[in-house]
Amino acid sequence: MTVGSQVKQTLAALKSISANLQTYALQSKSEEASRAFHESMLLSDEIIKDLERRIGELERQEPQYKGF
Amino acid sequence: MPEWIEVLLRSFFIIAGLFFITKILGKKQLSKLSFFEYIVGITIGDIAGTLSIDINMAISHGVTSILVWSAVLMLLNVLSLRSQKFRSLVEGDATVFIKDGKVMEDNLKKENYTTDELLEQLRKKNVFSMADVEFAVLESGGDLSVLLKKQNQPVTPQDLNLQLEPVKEPQTVIMDGKILDEPLANAGLNRGWLKSELEKIGVTYENVFLAQVDSDGQLTVDLFDDKIKTPSPITKPLMLASIKKCQADLEMYALATDSASVRQMYARDAEKLNKMLETLKPFLKY
Repeated sequence: MTVGSQVKQTLAALKSISANLQTYALQSKSEEASRAFHESMLLSDEIIKDLERRIGELERQEPQYKGF
Repeated sequence: MPEWIEVLLRSFFIIAGLFFITKILGKKQLSKLSFFEYIVGITIGDIAGTLSIDINMAISHGVTSILVWSAVLMLLNVLSLRSQKFRSLVEGDATVFIKDGKVMEDNLKKENYTTDELLEQLRKKNVFSMADVEFAVLESGGDLSVLLKKQNQPVTPQDLNLQLEPVKEPQTVIMDGKILDEPLANAGLNRGWLKSELEKIGVTYENVFLAQVDSDGQLTVDLFDDKIKTPSPITKPLMLASIKKCQADLEMYALATDSASVRQMYARDAEKLNKMLETLKPFLKY
């Protein structure tokens, strides 16, 4: 497995985490929990952006592994 | 009129009357009644009982008596609500038995309490050693309330410096195989959500004996057929684990990469995930 596909896996996991966090933030009846989930979701989105940029770089370096 | 019919009529009307009097007097629990209220209650009951059987007794006499007794009780209730002094006169004050870990012998004597009785009351509160008690007071109702010394009190999450998820009451959404719409709406959810959640664990709502949803939307179900196993809600611990895994992944990438700037980015992101884990832990742990 190349580094690129590994990073893609992590990206997918993070996207699922972010989506879950968003659901929890919306579902939670407690304001405190809702805020914690929302802040974590924003953090995870930042990381997702970083990883997406990195995957772009990796694909430029190893064009043979391009695409999902 | 035959006597038994008179007894029947009397009993019926007195029961109805007493019912309304007790409604008016309020719903203080029996164990919380003061001694005086207790006596008044018994007396009213006694008068009512005698009145309903004894046909030689004039109804007007009995009713007057019941009304006077209840009126006095109501008056006392109103007055003791208004004035603190009156309250302590009628209901009595609490007496301090143990203060700063020392027994107040004079107060014991004043309340006719023997040392054995004090120890017995303490034991009923699961206190077997005098040394554990900081403060104990005999309430006006006759109960002993005990404050243990700080080191003997049960540990609370605050003592342990634990951060916990605030708990909101769960809503019961299915009972005996029937969907309850009102609690479902209270939880901000609908039937469509419930059906899809049930599909996830592979049951229909007719088979569900009891289902509750907690404040974060996690569903716990109990089926009629106890042989079928349903998964307990694990989405949250699962997510905590997957965040941990991502964090470890990022740290690994940081070590694997050759470029300094990329390593920095990975390390920063791993740090962010670490921070996220810390904030989420109290909410995702069970």
